[in-house]
Amino acid sequence: MSALTREETEALIQEVLEVYPEKARKDREKHLAVNDQSIEQSKKCITSNRKSLPGVMTVRGCAYAGSKGVVWGPIKDMIHISHGPVGCGQYSRAGRRNYYVGTTGINTFGTMNFTSDFQEKDIVFGGDKKLAKLITEIELLFPLNKGISVQSECPIGLIGDDIEAVSKKAAKEIDKPVVPVRCEGFRGVSQSLGHHIANDAIRDWVLPRRDTQEFAGTPYDVAVIGDYNIGGDAWSSRILLEEMGLRVIAQWSGDGTIAEMEMTPNAKLNLIHCYRSMNYIARHMEEKYSIPWMEYNFFGPTKVAESLRAIAAHFDDKIKEGAERVIAKYQAMMDEIIAKYKPRLQGKRVMLYVGGLRPRHVIGAYEDLGMEVVGTGYEFGHNDDYDRTIKDMGNATLIYDDVTGFEFEEFVKRVKPDLIGSGIKEKYIFQKMGVPFRQMHSWDYSGPYHGYDGFAIFARDMDMTINNPCWGKMIAPWLKPAEAETLKAAA
Amino acid sequence: MANIMIQRSAKGDYVFYLPKRDLEDAIVSMEFDTPEKWGGEIRLNNGGSYYIEPQKAPAKLPISLRARRLDAAE
Amino acid sequence: MQQVDNIKPCYPLFRDDDYKESLGNKKEQFEESHPADKIQETFIWTTTAEYRDLNFKREALTVNPAKACQPLGAVLCALGFEKTLPYVHGSQGCVAYFRTYFNRHFKEPISCVSDSMTEDAAVFGGQKNMIDGLENARALYKPDMIAVSTTCMAEVIGDDLNAFILNTKKAGNIPNEFPTPYAHTPSFVGSHVTGWDNMFEGVMRYFTLNTMEGKAPGQNGKINIVPGFETYLGNYRVMHRMLDEMGVAHTMLSDPTEVLDTPADGQFRMYAGGTTQDEVKDAPNATNTFLLQPLQLDKTRKYVEGTWHHEVPKLNIPMGLEWTDEWLMKVSEVTGKAIPASLVKERGRLVDMITDSHTWLHGKKFGLYGDPDFVMGMAKFLTELGAEPTHILCNNGSKKWNKAMRAVMDETPYGKDAKLYPGADLWHFRSLMFTEKPDFMIGNSYGKFIQRDTLHKGPEFEVPLIRIGFPIFDRHHLHRATTLGYEGAMQMLTTLVNAVLEKLDEDTRGMGTTDYNYDLVR
Repeated sequence: MSALTREETEALIQEVLEVYPEKARKDREKHLAVNDQSIEQSKKCITSNRKSLPGVMTVRGCAYAGSKGVVWGPIKDMIHISHGPVGCGQYSRAGRRNYYVGTTGINTFGTMNFTSDFQEKDIVFGGDKKLAKLITEIELLFPLNKGISVQSECPIGLIGDDIEAVSKKAAKEIDKPVVPVRCEGFRGVSQSLGHHIANDAIRDWVLPRRDTQEFAGTPYDVAVIGDYNIGGDAWSSRILLEEMGLRVIAQWSGDGTIAEMEMTPNAKLNLIHCYRSMNYIARHMEEKYSIPWMEYNFFGPTKVAESLRAIAAHFDDKIKEGAERVIAKYQAMMDEIIAKYKPRLQGKRVMLYVGGLRPRHVIGAYEDLGMEVVGTGYEFGHNDDYDRTIKDMGNATLIYDDVTGFEFEEFVKRVKPDLIGSGIKEKYIFQKMGVPFRQMHSWDYSGPYHGYDGFAIFARDMDMTINNPCWGKMIAPWLKPAEAETLKAAA
Repeated sequence: MANIMIQRSAKGDYVFYLPKRDLEDAIVSMEFDTPEKWGGEIRLNNGGSYYIEPQKAPAKLPISLRARRLDAAE
Repeated sequence: MQQVDNIKPCYPLFRDDDYKESLGNKKEQFEESHPADKIQETFIWTTTAEYRDLNFKREALTVNPAKACQPLGAVLCALGFEKTLPYVHGSQGCVAYFRTYFNRHFKEPISCVSDSMTEDAAVFGGQKNMIDGLENARALYKPDMIAVSTTCMAEVIGDDLNAFILNTKKAGNIPNEFPTPYAHTPSFVGSHVTGWDNMFEGVMRYFTLNTMEGKAPGQNGKINIVPGFETYLGNYRVMHRMLDEMGVAHTMLSDPTEVLDTPADGQFRMYAGGTTQDEVKDAPNATNTFLLQPLQLDKTRKYVEGTWHHEVPKLNIPMGLEWTDEWLMKVSEVTGKAIPASLVKERGRLVDMITDSHTWLHGKKFGLYGDPDFVMGMAKFLTELGAEPTHILCNNGSKKWNKAMRAVMDETPYGKDAKLYPGADLWHFRSLMFTEKPDFMIGNSYGKFIQRDTLHKGPEFEVPLIRIGFPIFDRHHLHRATTLGYEGAMQMLTTLVNAVLEKLDEDTRGMGTTDYNYDLVR
């Protein structure tokens, strides 16, 4: 079907809002918008980073998810304690596909779940003693760990435990970093505050550890910040940076180590992929260590080339030539990929609803394949995210912040996209509705999608899902004979 | 008093950041903005205002500062 | 670099030389990794009896638990009632986790809301959230019932569900008569199975506690079936089928089989099937109530016996041959309906299968872990096959479980050597898989990491995982299988014997070395 006009889109929003009780409608109205590229500041058209309404079925998570699940969890050589009741650590165990290599259980711990498994007595009498004991048990049974982080679950902040004191004492005893993180799930309005709290913990407890230590640096040292190595994303990114002559001294936090984190202040430039979750630490390093930082986008050949050149612009001619060499090297392969898949995907319309950087970052990759993003939104974005999105989206397209289950379903029914890119909580709803769907958090168990090698997989995956024969089989042939005949005739 | 950070946007404007509330906003006016005297009352795009003890303009941004809330938005 | 006709995903892409070099350099130059020999030496140490003993001395630390928290169970229970929206009072992140956890297991949509309590609610209590939340949820998702449970945040600050819900109704945000059963489900007590039990009791209490007048056991001529935390869809279905074949009128109290198995036909159904409110209200009139997983349904039993005056039959989970026999005989006794020829034949077919396969299963050793009733039924079934459950681990198993489990194992020579581990976790289990290696382990997907660990020591140490349990994330559609009744036993038997044969093939397929015993006919 053809695209909706601005008026139609505005009417759609109003129609969807009708079902809400008045108070909720007033709130949700501010989170839904029709894109207008002429607007400079997003806050004029959309409100974000506010509390989710009770009872509306938000897909947002919590601060613990932002800290343990996103920022800290992937640091592979540390042990991250889910401190509190058993659930949080269990639900967030090994589900995010932030890949690493190591001997799990011995020198790396990424897919494991360490928890203090709070019982009623821990709530009543406090969990500090248990935490202290638990750290000595970790040290005994997992001696090759490089440090510990304490990821607070809701009760910790409510019962008045002093995990900072326990951590300081334990750090001295085991002579390793023990980092208390106050990421209780009730803090903030989404996972976003958890990212921030996690960043602050890194700032306070990790970065200063090598402030006085010598480092054999080169003029070409960079750090990759905010790549969680989903499906190996950071690996297919770092290889390009290395090929252009840079030295990636640290990778945060996918496949990351505490040594790399500690060495990051020696970088000449911090490269930020997920701005939302790690801009804080980049700003801190800019202030304290005078390290400039820049955002980049490694989704799709157009954005990869743009980003490689923008990165190279911070360096000398050797790197600039390196960037051109890398772009040229992959050009032929990219052309072949696009020649193969674009004809199969041209004109297909996509709706996105994800977190972090993807609601805007992946638009270019779809455009490289001739596809159009007609709706997008952030689970936990802020104004600065939407500022960066308005320009990337077409006029009169839909923008939705912290969309509710109800709204998303209604939007899809009307906009009728050819593909939805969102998360697992949405996946099965839309698949049953017959809309091709890709998980854009976990890459639907595929990936990487970053870099040139990643784009080839991205193109393959979008094609396999949009063009799979299953979508044409939703209605039994005897139930809709007329339509079935037409389909047969068309085929 | 709250910890805040002031930085420059890509376009060169001042941007205010209040970590505790995860609030990032453009600064629409700053009472003093000369090399000798910098700070004072600052107004945010969202209508809120804060006060920074006037001081010499910082040599570089971003800078973390203490600020007093005069009038919060919303 | 990728090639257009051979696009490689992560595996095998990262086995290409350029990536191996890049990852190798990263490790070499920046990770400050421990030396390889030190890692290997430590690994080997973790496989020893010395390490196992240290591991079992842990008092504070849990590593890789085999249980989840209460509200997860409450959500599953609520999904089993008609047009019911599960509503969790507390932090929103919990609900994101519950939904995701079930999404991954069932590959189905899971509808559930939270009332998104944040820091201010931690200070002032969550009543405001409840008032808005119930109104919004009802307006948007139009359920006939909202089943309220709690996260630990709400429990720690002591929110009073009963008062909050009453006040919401008083304020007029939802109608007085709108059904809102509730249960407090603190995650620092018990596990997901406890949460199921609590939510179930909450629903029964809501609809029957004050309306018992005129109700008495036996009036509706049905029996009630209470499944407990049950994630095998086939188990609900097999119960219906067996009872239908017997001609026993029955009510499955909490039946999520429809909502967790909706068709892909162009329509999303937020609600489908489920036990109706009328059936719940009528439940006290049943002749009796059968608890399929009795070890996890303490509160339910107390309520059913105390309020409905049912004499809940003392039975085990109807898993395997004998316990299905006993279960059917009890149903027959309670209802006066004979066990029909069709079930006798089905039983005969199961016995026939056992006779066919016993040669491969007799004496085989299995370590298993999972929820209390499941491991008990599984272990019992193994002994019926002549197989030996050697290690039975139940992270959410109580002293009561331990005693009951011991008694069951002591009845048979195949169970007398079984060791029981209530309260232990999967890192304990890992130690056992090294120091007292069984032939296989049975459990949920988390066991795959233990299998990898044992293989890492050497092929002769590998303990293959047979996936029966919850959650199963890494294999498709197994949640549709059956583990209860004769049908369940058939399916499990098929899984077990073929796992044995797969392993034998793997062990004997060396060309020119183990050509013998790599047989076409087995």
